[in-house]
Amino acid sequence: MTDFTYLPDEGLVDALIMEIADLLRRLIEHGEAGSTVLLRLPLSPSRLTLDHCLGQGEIAVLLDAAGRSTIRETSFPGVWWTTHADDTGRVIAMLIEVAFVPHIVRADIDDVARGCQRLPGATNAARRARRTVA
Amino acid sequence: MTLLAFARGPALQAALLIMIAGIFWRLAGIFLLPPRAQHAAPRHSLAGRIGGGALMIVSRFIPHHTFWPRVAMSVVLSTTFHLGLAIILLGGAPHILLIHQVTGLTWPGLPKGLIVISSGLTLASMIVLLIRRITHPVLRMLSTVDDYLSWLLVFLPVLTGILLAGETIGGYGTLLALHILSVELMMVWLPFGKLMHGALVFAGRWGMGMNFARKGAAT
Amino acid sequence: MDDRETMTETLCAMLARRGFGRRSLLQFAIAMTSSLALPPSVAPVMAANLAKAKRRSVIWLSFQECTGCLETLLRSSSPTIDSLIFDFISLDYQEALMAAAGDAAERTLREAVAANKGQYLLAIDGSIPIKDGGVYSLTGGRSNVEMLAEIATNARAVLAIGTCAAYGGIPKAYPNPTGAVGVDDLVSGKPIVNIPGCPPVPEVLSGVLVHFISFGRLPDLDDRKRPLAYFGTTIHDQCYRRPFYDQGKFAKSFDDAGARQGWCLFELGCKGPTTHNACASLKWNGGASFPIESGHGCLGCSEPDFWDAGGFYTPLAGGSPPGWRNAGIAAAVGVAAGAAAALAARGRAASARHKAGPSPEETP
Repeated sequence: MTDFTYLPDEGLVDALIMEIADLLRRLIEHGEAGSTVLLRLPLSPSRLTLDHCLGQGEIAVLLDAAGRSTIRETSFPGVWWTTHADDTGRVIAMLIEVAFVPHIVRADIDDVARGCQRLPGATNAARRARRTVA
Repeated sequence: MTLLAFARGPALQAALLIMIAGIFWRLAGIFLLPPRAQHAAPRHSLAGRIGGGALMIVSRFIPHHTFWPRVAMSVVLSTTFHLGLAIILLGGAPHILLIHQVTGLTWPGLPKGLIVISSGLTLASMIVLLIRRITHPVLRMLSTVDDYLSWLLVFLPVLTGILLAGETIGGYGTLLALHILSVELMMVWLPFGKLMHGALVFAGRWGMGMNFARKGAAT
Repeated sequence: MDDRETMTETLCAMLARRGFGRRSLLQFAIAMTSSLALPPSVAPVMAANLAKAKRRSVIWLSFQECTGCLETLLRSSSPTIDSLIFDFISLDYQEALMAAAGDAAERTLREAVAANKGQYLLAIDGSIPIKDGGVYSLTGGRSNVEMLAEIATNARAVLAIGTCAAYGGIPKAYPNPTGAVGVDDLVSGKPIVNIPGCPPVPEVLSGVLVHFISFGRLPDLDDRKRPLAYFGTTIHDQCYRRPFYDQGKFAKSFDDAGARQGWCLFELGCKGPTTHNACASLKWNGGASFPIESGHGCLGCSEPDFWDAGGFYTPLAGGSPPGWRNAGIAAAVGVAAGAAAALAARGRAASARHKAGPSPEETP
């Protein structure tokens, strides 16, 4: 049976590639990050054509917060394929981000400050956790 | 009720019924008129007369060479738009779908690009013919409301159809409703104006051809 | 923690209480900006606004409905941050979900309205019957018409959830025996958001709520008061089978060779071209699929009067023709009229001949 999920996406993929090129130029010239949303585009469900075009890069970041997100660099440095899912695995957002480092990967200053406050008590917390397990 | 639901429902039913009743009224009214008494003996047999009728339907499509310089432009333009209409109606996939729904018949449609080109040629030739009608002093003098209304009610379906197929201007739902409503307006007017030639031209040529054959005149 | 105490809690504090950090909120904001078709650059702004937002009261009234709209919203919730937005709103009255019943329920409604006057969002599902004084749908002896008029007066905005509340839906289908109408036909002077669909896509409601909580206003609406972000395009414009439509490749019957190739379902009655909704992009059941992807044409369930728009399997190019019997009657009427006209003409001709006397050929 033909895999009808692999559909003629070429036209839309060409347009996306041009948009990504434009975003990359802005990143290089002005240091401005940008992104383009994939989830609501009428691409074929498998998005294979775009995947083949962009390829795989060197880094993949796994984010485990409210749900599981993967932020994967493509074969084009600075072009990241980001997929956000809730913790049942349902995809809630999918976008191409063009940035040196995607915004969500960077630690937030307030979160860093809170962690800094928690740090001195870390050894005691670990000791307590080991005693509970034992 | 939305406009589209009205166009596809009650308006379609009313328009079709009016058109059918009107066409049968006109045809019955003509064919049941008393025939003129023929006192001379026929020159050809019945078969010959029938052949004459059939031949005239075809032969009148091409004007006699004597008239060609005068009528060439209007014949070419009219043929273009009639052929264009036929291609659109019989080759366009949505129209075949409608015919299939009503009669069960179906056949392969033509590529969309070809239909779009036909629509463009049809619209262009209709516009040129209208300009001619308005600017030519004799044609203008002879033209009545029937002429202009019939032109408009054929032009609108083709125009709304090409806009709908193009899917660039206007919402699909609104354009579809307008297209269907414009066709229904044409259907309602058809039996009562010169658009009735669509049915009468063949009957008229046939009758004339049989008559000429009876008299031994060329058809 | 008492519900009333948490009314002043910010979303950020609530998330921190549940162990979620700022990255979680940013994940959620990215998902919401995508869902609302806002530029992705708005996500950090939305996240910051959401962090500061306080709880909002929602009163939900169910009228002439099948409960499908509520079920679809309930089924969409899972232990995810998306469902937290429903936890973050204070659903102060909802008859199917609340524990209170009878007088206690009515008291709850009165207190919720009084405590949040002018600030609560009023969500309605189901149509409102108006015939015969609205007797066809009563709650606690009160008609829906009366309840809507009273509760809408002090609402900040009204959300008409589902096609029944938006346009009248199934109860309004011909012959509409109860006189069912949508919210917009009865409420004036209040911002109304229609979220049609039978049922509506659940993400639409969460998107509208998030937009309202983050930016303090309702999202941009189209001429039918539907959020443009979700109803601005047709299913046809977002459908992944569109290349087949453009190439003229149509399935002719269910499960034929074309259908198995995933060809366009236009000829099988798909109403995608005239239906505005987000099903083709957001999809259903957590993005699993939507009707066309599962092989069935769109029913057009988010459009007004979709039940009365002809058959679901009649293509848009077709309609409801009169039928051969009626056509035959019309033809017979035409023939009769034509015959009468011809007879009259014959009569006039005969009378004229009689007046003129015998013709020269006939005189001996």
